[in-house]
Order: sequence, then C-alpha cells, then structure tokens
Amino acid sequence: MTFLRVNQLKVHYPVRGGFFRKVIGHVKAVDGISFELKKGETYGLVGESGCGKTTTGRTIIGLVKATAGEILFDGKDLTKLSRREFVQYRKDIQMIFQDPYSSLNPRKRVLDIVAEPLRNFEKLSPQEEKRKVQGLIEKVGLHSDSVYKYPHEFSGGQRQRIGIARALTLNPKLIIADEPVSALDVSVQAQVLNFMKDIQKEFQLTYLFISHDLGIIRHMCDRIGIMYRGQFVEEGTKDEIFHDPKHIYTKRLLASIPNADPLRRQEQQKLRQQIEKDYEQLYSRYFDAEGRVYPLKRISETHSVAIP
Amino acid sequence: MKKTEYSPFSVLWREVVKDKLALSSLLLLSLILFIVYGASIVLDQEEIVKVDLLSIYSPPSAEHWLGTDYGGRDILGQLIIGARNSFTIGLAITLLTGLIGLTIGLIAGYFGGVIDNIIMRIIDFILILPFLMLVIVFVAIVPKYNVFTFILIMSAFLWTGKARLIRAKVLAERELDYVSASKTLGTPDWKIIVREILPNLSSIIIVNLTLNLAGNIGIESGLSYLGFGLPESTPSLGTLVSYATNPDVLQNKWWVWLPASVLILVMMLCINFIGQALKRAADARQRLG
Ligand SMILES: Nc1ncnc2c1ncn2[C@@H]1O[C@H](COP(=O)(O)OP(=O)(O)OP(=O)(O)O)[C@@H](O)[C@H]1O
Ligand SMILES: [Mg+2]
Repeated sequence: MTFLRVNQLKVHYPVRGGFFRKVIGHVKAVDGISFELKKGETYGLVGESGCGKTTTGRTIIGLVKATAGEILFDGKDLTKLSRREFVQYRKDIQMIFQDPYSSLNPRKRVLDIVAEPLRNFEKLSPQEEKRKVQGLIEKVGLHSDSVYKYPHEFSGGQRQRIGIARALTLNPKLIIADEPVSALDVSVQAQVLNFMKDIQKEFQLTYLFISHDLGIIRHMCDRIGIMYRGQFVEEGTKDEIFHDPKHIYTKRLLASIPNADPLRRQEQQKLRQQIEKDYEQLYSRYFDAEGRVYPLKRISETHSVAIP
Repeated sequence: MKKTEYSPFSVLWREVVKDKLALSSLLLLSLILFIVYGASIVLDQEEIVKVDLLSIYSPPSAEHWLGTDYGGRDILGQLIIGARNSFTIGLAITLLTGLIGLTIGLIAGYFGGVIDNIIMRIIDFILILPFLMLVIVFVAIVPKYNVFTFILIMSAFLWTGKARLIRAKVLAERELDYVSASKTLGTPDWKIIVREILPNLSSIIIVNLTLNLAGNIGIESGLSYLGFGLPESTPSLGTLVSYATNPDVLQNKWWVWLPASVLILVMMLCINFIGQALKRAADARQRLG
C-alpha cells in the first residue's frame, strides 16, 4: 500500500461577482493532478508563482476542500472524511508554514505554542508537558529557557525552528513544508534545510516539499513534480529532472537557475537564449490550443512527461 | 535579550501614563467618578426629587450649593445622582453592545460564508432603520420606562457598528498562518476564536470601547434633553440641561443647567483624551509588529 496517493485531485475556487455575488466562474488552482509519496522520501513540488503548489499542500492537510479527486493516506480517502474523523489523521500529517512571522501567534509564549497540539490530543500534567516541550525545543537547537519567551524575541530562523518543533510535537508521519525557508536569509536557509534533513532521518519523516527554488529542491528532494497552471508537466527522480528533462517547460525552468560560476555565465546565457527560442517555436507541440499541457505519459518506470 | 512583558494591557497603560493630557484626564475622571459614586451612596434620591414649593429657583446658597430648579429640588443632588445615572447607562450600553458586537463579529468573521452573509444582511437592515424615531416610539409604547429598558433599547441598535469592526478585523486575522496552524494542530474552532484570535484584537477592542463610552454618555444626555430619555423622577445630566429650553432659565438661572453641561463636556473630553492615547498605543504596537 502506498503511503500517500493523490488521485486526479481538483481544487476550483469560485469567482464571485456582480450585485448578488453570484458565482461567475472558477479559478482552477489545481486541475487533476496525481502523484504518490513513498514512506521516508522527500517529494518536491516545483512551479512558478500561482501554479497551485500551496493549494495542493493545503488540500492534503485539510485546510482547503477538494473539488474532486482522492487523497489516499494509509488507504483512507481524506477528502471523504468528516471533520471529526479527520482529527485522527491530524496527528499524522503536519505542516511547516512559509512565513515564520505570521505562523506563530504573537500573544503566546513558546511553551503555549509548542504545547498546543499536546493539549488537544494528550492529557499531560503541566510538568510532563513542560518537559516534553523543552525536549523538543532543545532538539531544534534552541535553549530550553526559550519556552518562556514570546515569538518576537527570536530571529526568523529561530522562529522557523519553533514552527518545526510544533509540527514535530505529535510525531507525525508526513510533513508538508510550504516554502519553509523562502522568508529566511540565505545564510540561515542552509542551516534550516540541513536541520530538516537531520530530523527526517531521526523521526523517519516523509516530506512534501514545496518550493519555487530549484536549487533548494535539488538539495532536498528525491523525486520531483513540476507543476504548471494546476497540472503536472513532468515528474521524475532528481536525476531525471535535472539531467534529462523532456518537457520544454521544464528545460526553460532549469535554464533559469542562476549560475554561480562567473566563467560559465556566458555559456549559460547562450543556452538560455537557445531554449527561449525553442520554447517559442515548439510551444504548439507541448501545449494545446488553450495553452494547457497534455496529460502525463509514462516514458520510464519513474519518469512521466506531459506530451501528446 | 531582555525578557519583556508583551501584554497588550501593559503597552496601553504605559502609553496613557506617558501622555500628560491623557494621564490628567484619567486622574480627573477618576476623581469625578469617585465623588459621584461615593456621594450618591449617601444621597437619598427620593428626598432630592421631592418638590419643595417654598424654594423654587433659589440661587446658590449655603443650604443649596448649586441652587434649586422649578420644583425647588436641589441641583447639586440631582447633578450627582444624574451623573451617576448617565455614566452607568453609558457604561452599561458600551459593555452590552461590546459583548454582543464582539460575539457576532467574531462568528461572522471567522466562519464567513453563509453565516457571515446572513449576519451582515441583518446588520444592514438594523442600520437603515430610523434609530431616533424608533426610540421615540419605544418610549411611547413601553409602559415601565426606566434605566434598564433604556439600556436595552439603546443596545439593541448600537451593537451593529462594533460587530462590523470586529468582523473586518477577524477577516484579516483568520488569513494569518497562525490560525491555519491551529487548525492543522486539531484545535477546535471555538478555542481558535477565543484563545488565538481574540487576544490579538484586545487593544482594538479596548480603544473602541473607550471612545464609544464618551459617545454613549452623550447619546443618553442628548435623548434626555430632547425629552425621550429618562423620566424626571430619574435624574440625569440630560434632564438638567434640558431645563435650558426655557428662555428664562437659560438667561437668568445659569445654576440650573450650566454645571450639568460642564460636567458632560468634561467627562466626554476626559474619556476622549484617554481613548486617543490608547488608540495611538494600539497603532504603534501594530507598527512594531
Ligand atoms: N482562497 C482563494 N480564493 C480564490 N483563488 C485562490 C485562493 N487561493 C489561491 N487562489 C488562486 O489559485 C491559484 C493557485 O494559488 P497557489 O497559492 O496554490 O499558488 P502557488 O503555486 O502556491 O504560488 P506561490 O509560489 O506564489 O506561492 C492562484 O491563481 C491563486 O490566485
Ligand atoms: Mg504558495
């Protein structure tokens, strides 16, 4: 049985307008995507802004209602569960939020922030609770005295660690990380990412890692799905995506990664122009009349591309 | 880093104390309220509103410090009881509308959708009703018209503004990730509303209630002045001021209406100055993030 299976998931937001706020159309934020997560792996979801990455993550964790499709977790379809039934799965799926500033309530002490899930699911005495929270806070590399402080007393990177500690409190199996480091300083990004890798081993976590930064995706992920306008363009292992991209959109995305080596910048520039030209010429071969991609076609055991 | 207390109350308090005008207002208001509530325990309302035909319109004297009105009733006594009534009414309306507005605003803003739509239509409906006219009708048809019914009638109309304000704030607040985080951590909705969102609105609520208190004292006085407030047997500041509608009283008998007018003005100004300081504090906090 697969760990998590997303099947033809669709999320359409109604667009309201006019005098009576009638539904006049839909934003197809996610439009029929399917993928699988294997236990213990890191699956990367990449794509330009607005392609539906966040919506996918939030739907899996139940913050957004699916319009159609299935999300099978441990063989149970999460989209069919009532809110009360979902609570059981809450413990197994957690989320790390993008913005370490708005994701921690400024009015609560770290102790109360990290203990919130404990208070919902486990009846611990105040001493036990404090010990557990202090343990977690030390695990994410902060001093155990930090539990009495308020979020504004920490830096962005430290806050993100507090958010991670909170997500780990209930021993989840799957963590959805929606751009967990994009709000952080570059110097802190690597630190937090490596830390996430460490705890992945320790807690045997599976990550759904959402990012628009291909460098980070390359560093973190085992398998990658490229999204475009709510659909998948290409899916494959890290090697396949980075060394053997098949779809023109993927190629273009990869060419946009800035090259750190100044000697090869010229070369990169040429490559980028070449791909840009190809993109324009071959556009009609890869996209249909409405500018949407075709359904995924499997080209090897692990590699799928959206070509007709 | 120093351990700093981050409670909204301490921040608001600090701002008021730092602002000389607000601090003097607070002290003056406390003094007035202390005297008014202290003295009104001693005073006997029955005694004060009893008509004494022998001393009609007597000017200030040793016996009646602020003179008497057309019924020979002591103005100072009426002023104190009246100030107590006016302030209590203003405070009660503020708290009651605050409670109703807060509850409804939180529910509408947090749940949104159909619930929000229904609530907002009800509020729109109440807002287009001619408030003053309905109050006058109520005064006419409610048989036992006293402080209590007055508070209820006022509150029934005045909660809408607060509900709208709170709803707008909650709509913004619920989009923040800490609310999403609480949901994913399995916290029930009521707990998210009360324990997560409400504390973040506390400074806005305090500021709004304070500024509203001044307005509500004014509303009571205004309606009593127009003759649609409390009956004469229940002294209020508005009743005292309304004696000035008689040109003779207005011109020659200043002691009847002037003290009450000044008291209303002073109380409203004091509350407003405090409210302004609180408002600044709340804004500064938001700027600090
Ligand atoms: N609550 C909503 N109501 C209506 N439309 C929405 C809502 N949330 C998102 N959308 C739309 O759905 C589409 C996908 O949004 P989403 O946030 O999933 O994109 P994203 O891939 O996470 O982008 P980014 O990289 O900018 O975070 C966008 O076009 C967005 O405008
Ligand atoms: Mg996003």
